[in-house]
Amino acid sequence: MKHFLKITLSILLVSQIVSAQTKYTISGFVRDAKTGEELIGASILIKEMPAIGTTTNAYGFYSISIPEGTYNIISQFIGFDLQNKQLKLNGNTVQNFTLSEKATKLEEIVVAAEKKDENITKNLMSVEKINIQEIKNIPVIFGEKDILKTIQLLPGVKSAGEGNSGFYIRGGAADQNLILLDEAIVYNASHLLGFFSVFNADAIKDVTLYKGGQPAEYGGRLSSVLDIKTKDGNDKQYGVEGGLGLISSRLKIDGPIVKDKGSFTINGRRSYADLFLKLAKDSAMRQRKLYFYDFNAKVNYRINEKNRIFLSGYFGKDILGFGDQMGIDWGNKTGTLRWNHVVSSKLFSNTSLIFSNYDYNINTRLAGTDGEIVSRIQDYNIKQDFQYFSNTKSKFKFGLNSIYHKIIPGAIITKSDSSISELNLKHKQALENAIYFTHELKPSGIFSFEYGIRFTSFSTLGAGDFYTYNSLGETIDTASYTKGEFVTTYYNIEPRFSANFILNEKSSIKAAYGRNTQNLHLLSNSTSGNPTDLWIPSSNNVKPEIADQISMGYFRNFKNNAFEFSTEVYYKYLQNQIDYKDGAELRFNENAESQLLFGTGRAYGIELFLKKKYGRFNGWVGYTFAKTEKKIAGINKGEYYPAKQDRTHDISIVGIYELSKKLTVSATWVFYTGNAVTFPSGKYEVAGQLVNYYTERNGYRMPTYHRLDLGLTWQRKKTEKFESSWNFSLYNAYGRENAYTITFQEDPNDPTKTQAVQTTLFRWVPSITYNFKF
Amino acid sequence: MKIDIFKYKSTLIGIFNLLLVVLVFSSCEKVVNIDLNSKDPQIVIEGNINDQPGPYTIKLTNTANFDELNNFPSVSGASVIISDDFGNSETLTETSAGIYSTSTIQGTIGRTYTLKVTANGKEYSAVSKMSSSVILDTLTIVTEQTPKGSNKTIYVNFIDPIGVDNYYRFIKIINGVTQKSIYVEDDLLKDGEAINQPLFARGQDETKLKPGYNVTIVMQSVDKNVYDYFRTLLQLSSSGLINQSASPANPLSNISNGALGYFNACSVTSKTIIVQ
Repeated sequence: MKHFLKITLSILLVSQIVSAQTKYTISGFVRDAKTGEELIGASILIKEMPAIGTTTNAYGFYSISIPEGTYNIISQFIGFDLQNKQLKLNGNTVQNFTLSEKATKLEEIVVAAEKKDENITKNLMSVEKINIQEIKNIPVIFGEKDILKTIQLLPGVKSAGEGNSGFYIRGGAADQNLILLDEAIVYNASHLLGFFSVFNADAIKDVTLYKGGQPAEYGGRLSSVLDIKTKDGNDKQYGVEGGLGLISSRLKIDGPIVKDKGSFTINGRRSYADLFLKLAKDSAMRQRKLYFYDFNAKVNYRINEKNRIFLSGYFGKDILGFGDQMGIDWGNKTGTLRWNHVVSSKLFSNTSLIFSNYDYNINTRLAGTDGEIVSRIQDYNIKQDFQYFSNTKSKFKFGLNSIYHKIIPGAIITKSDSSISELNLKHKQALENAIYFTHELKPSGIFSFEYGIRFTSFSTLGAGDFYTYNSLGETIDTASYTKGEFVTTYYNIEPRFSANFILNEKSSIKAAYGRNTQNLHLLSNSTSGNPTDLWIPSSNNVKPEIADQISMGYFRNFKNNAFEFSTEVYYKYLQNQIDYKDGAELRFNENAESQLLFGTGRAYGIELFLKKKYGRFNGWVGYTFAKTEKKIAGINKGEYYPAKQDRTHDISIVGIYELSKKLTVSATWVFYTGNAVTFPSGKYEVAGQLVNYYTERNGYRMPTYHRLDLGLTWQRKKTEKFESSWNFSLYNAYGRENAYTITFQEDPNDPTKTQAVQTTLFRWVPSITYNFKF
Repeated sequence: MKIDIFKYKSTLIGIFNLLLVVLVFSSCEKVVNIDLNSKDPQIVIEGNINDQPGPYTIKLTNTANFDELNNFPSVSGASVIISDDFGNSETLTETSAGIYSTSTIQGTIGRTYTLKVTANGKEYSAVSKMSSSVILDTLTIVTEQTPKGSNKTIYVNFIDPIGVDNYYRFIKIINGVTQKSIYVEDDLLKDGEAINQPLFARGQDETKLKPGYNVTIVMQSVDKNVYDYFRTLLQLSSSGLINQSASPANPLSNISNGALGYFNACSVTSKTIIVQ
């Protein structure tokens, strides 16, 4: 570790000497004038040096070094009025900006200095920034604005199914997405089996999705990073905001703890579909429980301009039950303690202590089966990140991270008179370490690149017996380890690289390569993810999954940056991919690892994206052509076969139109090829049962899916003191009967025949939400 | 270590389906036309031999395409041989189309039986060992009040022999009609214990128990491969809407060369009860 810091610091020093001139550093924070919230990704420009610019980091901090002189420093952020500060630079200077929200919602003229071509000039490719304001107007199921549903409308991002918040990125499985909430890993991002996501949009400040070319500070999952940062809360005045919907309601309170120094925010949400059940005539129906709730809370305090502390937490739970007789609940808990420290005007540090937990409990109280099943995954995580703003051409990021994972795969606790046996599957412990280093370099106005490396180690720890299996899944070796003893350790080097070459003012080409590894694997063999799916760490049997992705893109803007067009192609090669043996028994199986098969995979595709960002009408069109295949000995004769998330065509169209200052209408349309699926090729009879005959895995396709959603937002009042609006939405407006599942069964009316039955979940789901803010 | 949690699983499946029913107020089902590939028919072998007096039968049929009627073509003219590890062997005679019967061989506990079938130029074989018999002591019926009204469940009671791996298959016969539900159990977590095991009714597959009904339970002691066959057959047939396996596959057969079905050499005990 010391070694690593030494090397890093000496690199920094050398680059310092090379660029030694009489330069001074301007640094500071960019904040929202009304709430005091730091703005992430706000631009800092220097009027006199148009080629030079920077953006604020995840904590709203920027640093830029330029020669002595008098300058106009401009800061601007989308949706805010820009701010210009004149400055005589003859020493290191702290310059903070406070930007005010644009008075009018309609954007009229393009301001000359505004940097609207970031998609061209920025080095990043395969990255999507989600604008929370934009999400508000997009219609979604049950009228609850939802980040995970919105990102599914972007090219390269596919929904895991009807109304599902699970998603697949560039052919990756649902467990290959690193979902971070204030840096804490979220293991299950779904409420109510995916119809809601666990992220309350009111609490969220910034969402960034990396589909490829992930910077080296991220790691641990193969496909993508979804980095979600919550709001800090208003440090100037108290505010209340909320929404009343048919299925759920939410409330947010925020305000200062010490004015301009510290603030808090609390967000709560609860669904109440079960309250309607109380009205049911059927007494069995009245006893059913079915709801979720969640809380986001955050406090922060600015000790001085150089030190700031944040404490944030999330707590959520889903509860399903049948009277007192049986029930299941599950949920996430996360906690993050952060310390921002401006070491010098050029060096920014953040230290985080992070806790995350996901668990589920099942209990039954039926006679003879009194008992409880518990399962849990827990992380204790420490993270140190540095950002060094060397000069206008070069920026460094480096840091380290250590996570202790603790998994309780499943324990059954019973009452004495129960007919079920007690069971406690072996607990699993693992230690995951990473160090990383990234250098962002802009040698000239037209060329920029970023290279980085991430070095990781993953160790499975004792105590317990560790089994080794042969290809038949039989135990061939057992080794015993004591508590804390290292069982297996895997080391991985993950190089990352991305480059941007600006062709002209309107277009650029970009390329990226990255290797990612994954050491926690989700065993899920159901069509839609279940809360009881099991995470397992890499072990003597399960090797780290590895993905190498190369991508290239062409970016072009039209009509004075009013339209953005981009196309990206990617190819991914995956190693140590997991699939399941025929008839695999994954739950409550101490030998679950013996039920797995391993092989390789490949994914490739092209994504096209056209977006109109400004004006009364805005929206986008996205198209993806993709292929995802696996090759695993023991499945389909060891040949490449489509993975279950394979979909050939995927189209999304989003349109938002501001009819007047009070009325906004929106529509989305999605169309995609059905997923690869296993259907029977015949049937037979055995033991008196009619049984389907399967000949190949994922050899068929579900029917094509398409759907139109409509939304209407009606702004009732908008004053300084009080705002309110109504939101109406209609999901699946033309009532398409999309297939959720297709089952093959005996014809109930004619036992001599069989039939295929398609189940459709939603046709025409209308919803109304009332939103308020004061 | 694998635990039997079928009842927990069925609870789970029940809850998930319940969730769907409640949540999905507008869900609907319809029969659709799916174009399924035709495949060459595959042979289905269903073979049983036990410690009770014979004759024992082997049934040979073929698979049918999905759009065809549910009468499955029988396979005639095959050569079917059952032998044991004590040198006994018998070639079965076809007593009716696709049904092959023994006349001399007697199933004996502890022996390993081999089935050899030659049909349409292909050879299939399977091995199964006849396990020691375990006595089914008693049957009890428990009445429970559920939100849907009272519900009767039959329980099997027996002592699991200690120190050996035991696998059980139960067949439920109500008023002389063999029920379709599959029940299998292992003893990995309750070796040597007195077992009191409910055989929950599974959906519409089963007649609801009412006073006066005559219920017979046949308990088979089977070997591990046969247990795995019925376990995976159950998995295939019991998956609910949400719990549906993403990669359904044919049950794990103990017959070679791609044949479907099973060959089961087992010991058998049974008990009958009249529902009160």
